[in-house]
Amino acid sequence: MKIIDIAFKDLTRSMRSLFLIGMALAAPLLITLLIYFAFGSLKSGDISMTPIKVGIVNADVLPTNAQLESPLGKSVRDMFFDDSVKSWITASEYADESAARAALNAQEIGVAVIIPKTFTQDYLAAGIKTPITILQDPTLTIGPTVAREMVTSLLDGVAGGGVAYKIIQVRLEANGKTLDRAGITALFERYANWYADFQRALFHQPEKAALVVTSPAAGGEASNNLQSMMGLVMAGQLIFFSFFTGAYAMMSILHEAEEGTLARLFTTPTNRTVILMGKFLAVFLIVMIQGIVLLIAGRLIFGVRWGEAGTIILAVLGQMFASVGLAVLLVSFIKTSKQAGPIFGGALTGLGMLSGLFTTNIAMPASFNAIGNFTPQGWVLKAWKLSLAGQPAKEMVLPFFVLVVMGIVLFAIGAMMFRKRYAE
Amino acid sequence: MNAIEVINLKKSFGDLLAVDGASFKVDSGEVLSLLGPNGAGKSTTISILSGLLLPTEGDAFIMEHSVTKEPTTAKASLGVVPQDIALYPDLSAGENLVFWGKMYGLRGSTLKVRVDEVLDIIGLADRQKDAVGKFSGGMKRRVNIGAALLHKPDVIIMDEPTVGIDPQSRRHILDNVKELNQKGMTVLYTTHYMEEATELSQHIAIMDKGKVIAYGTHDELIKLVGELTRIDITLNTEAEKILSEWRKTEGVSRIDSTDGKVTALVDDSNRVLPRLFDTAAQVGVRITSVDIQEPNLEMVFLHLTGRALRD
Repeated sequence: MKIIDIAFKDLTRSMRSLFLIGMALAAPLLITLLIYFAFGSLKSGDISMTPIKVGIVNADVLPTNAQLESPLGKSVRDMFFDDSVKSWITASEYADESAARAALNAQEIGVAVIIPKTFTQDYLAAGIKTPITILQDPTLTIGPTVAREMVTSLLDGVAGGGVAYKIIQVRLEANGKTLDRAGITALFERYANWYADFQRALFHQPEKAALVVTSPAAGGEASNNLQSMMGLVMAGQLIFFSFFTGAYAMMSILHEAEEGTLARLFTTPTNRTVILMGKFLAVFLIVMIQGIVLLIAGRLIFGVRWGEAGTIILAVLGQMFASVGLAVLLVSFIKTSKQAGPIFGGALTGLGMLSGLFTTNIAMPASFNAIGNFTPQGWVLKAWKLSLAGQPAKEMVLPFFVLVVMGIVLFAIGAMMFRKRYAE
Repeated sequence: MNAIEVINLKKSFGDLLAVDGASFKVDSGEVLSLLGPNGAGKSTTISILSGLLLPTEGDAFIMEHSVTKEPTTAKASLGVVPQDIALYPDLSAGENLVFWGKMYGLRGSTLKVRVDEVLDIIGLADRQKDAVGKFSGGMKRRVNIGAALLHKPDVIIMDEPTVGIDPQSRRHILDNVKELNQKGMTVLYTTHYMEEATELSQHIAIMDKGKVIAYGTHDELIKLVGELTRIDITLNTEAEKILSEWRKTEGVSRIDSTDGKVTALVDDSNRVLPRLFDTAAQVGVRITSVDIQEPNLEMVFLHLTGRALRD
C-alpha cells in the first residue's frame, strides 16, 4: 500500500510540474506540429507548387518523303500542352527563337524549348542529331530541369519507337513482307499513344505504370502521404520524450535526497525497498500516461493510424519497460540533480540519434540502422514502425520481448546501485 | 522506563570519529536537551537514533527496541523533526501531512482526524490547502514538526528546530514542545542555544568532539563551575601581553583569550576584578570594557572545554 502512496505522491508532484508537463506532452506535440505545418501540403498527396512557365518554339516541319503523319516536334510541343500537366505547367507558343528569348528576358516565361526546323528530318536521317535547345532563366532550377527531363523522356520514347519500327521491319522482311505507309503510321501512332499513356501514368497514377508502392496504412484503410509521414515523426518524438520523461521522473529521487524528504522517509517505519519500488512505480505510471496521451493526441491532431490495438498495447508496454529501465540506470549513476542536465541531454539525445529517432522519414544506410539494434530506443522504434505498418500483434513478439529483457536488465543494474547507495 | 537509551555509541566516517562512545538515557515523559557546538556529534547521534545511519559500535534503543536490530519497530515509536525543512513544497500543508501520516501507517478516518488535530496544534488549519512552498520559514517549520506528530509517537526527536526563524515562530515551537511534553511525550531536543535547553529540559547532555562530556539537570551542571563568575574583558592591545600575569592572580580559576577578548572564570568578581585592573596598570595595558555574568550553561561548557559554546 505504501508503494502506491509513494507512487501517487510522485505522480501528483509530476502533474504539477510545468517543466515535466512541457517536456512530456507539450514539446513532442509542438515539434510534431511544426513538422506538420512545414509539410502540410503533402496532405491528400497534393503538392502545390508555382506552375512552370514554358515557352515553345516549334519550327519543325515534316519532310516530304517522311512516313510520319506529323513532325516529331509536334509531339514535343503537344506534351507541354497536355491536359495532364496543366496544373503545373503553363505553356505558350512563340513564333521564333528571338520572340522566346524576349519573353524569357522579360521573365514572362522561365524556360524556352526551341525545336529546330530540321528536327524530324535529321532524326529520321540516321546518324544526324539536331539538338532541341532549352533556354532558361538562370535564377531557376526546378522548372528548367523538369522541362529538360520531359523532353529527354519523350525523345527516349521516340528512340524506342524507332527501335520498335526497325525490329518490326526486319521481322517482316524476314517473312517476305513489307510495311506500307499506312501501316507505318499506325505503328508509330500506336506506340506514341502507349508511350504518352505510360508517361502520364508514371507521373499521376504510378500504380498503373507498374510501379508498386506499399502503403503503410493499417487495416487496408486508405491513407495519405502526410499521415504516413506524421506517424513516423510522431513515433520518433513519442519515443524520444518518453525516455526523457522517464529519466526526469526518476530524478525525483535525487530531488528528494536534496530536499531532505528521502532521509525523512527513511526515518519512518517504511522499508527502503518499498520506498524505491514506490518511486519506480511512479516513473512507470508517468511514462504510461504520457504514452497514452500522446497516442490519442497523435490520432486526433495528426490523424496518425497507430495500428491494431494489440500491437499498440505491446509497443506501449515495451516502451515503458525500456524507458523506465534506462531511467533507473541513468539516474543511479548521478549524484546530484545538477549533473542530470548534461548526462540526460548527452545520453538520451545521443542514443536517440543513433537509434534513428530524428531520421524516421529518411532512408539511412543499413550500417546506421544496425546500430539501433543495440539501443532500447532503436527497438522501440522498430515496434512502432511495425505497429504503424498495420502488422498484427504476433509480429510484435520479438521487439516486445527484446524491450522487456532490456528494460529488466537495465532496471536491475540501476536498482542494485540504488540499493547499495541507500543501504540500511 | 527509558524512552531512549544510548550505550557506548561510536560512529566513524573514514578517519573521522564523529561519535566517540556516547552514552545517555532519557526517561519516559521527559525532555532531554543535547547541547553542543557545531560538529560536536549531535546530528550524527540523532541520525543513528532515527535509523538513518548504523553505528560503528554500540547500540541505541527507542522504547526498548534496538535501532540496529528492530529498526522498523523502533521507528514506529519515533517522530523525527529534521534540522532542515523536509517537506514537499509543491504539495499543500494538508497533502504533506496526509502523505507523512500514511508513511507512519495511518489510514482512513484515523488519518483524517489526526491531520485535522495536528493542523490545529501547529496553528495552520486555515492554511491547510496552501502549497508549503508559499509558506514563511516559521510556518514551514511548524508543518515540519506537525509531520512528526501524526502517529502520536512515544518519542520525538527534534534536531535544532528553531535555527534561522523569527522570534514569534520560535516561541510557538518552544510552546509546542512544552505542550507535547506535558501530554507525556518524550522529547530529545538538540540545540546550541543554551537558553532553549534551560527553558525546555529536565536533563541536559553536553556533547563535544563526539563525547557526552556532562549530563545532569540544569542546576547540577551549573554546580560543575561552582560559584564561579564569568568576566569578559576587552583590552586596547593584544591579550598575550597580560594573560600570563593575570593567570597568576589569586581567585582566577581559568582565563583564556579568543579574538582579542579575554574570558575569565573567577570565584568572586568583587575581589578579583580590582586585582586584574592593578595588574593591567602595572603592565601598561588599558581595559576598555568589562562584562560580568552569573553562572550558566555557556560557562559550564567553557569550564569543561576551554572554548565558548558557539565557537
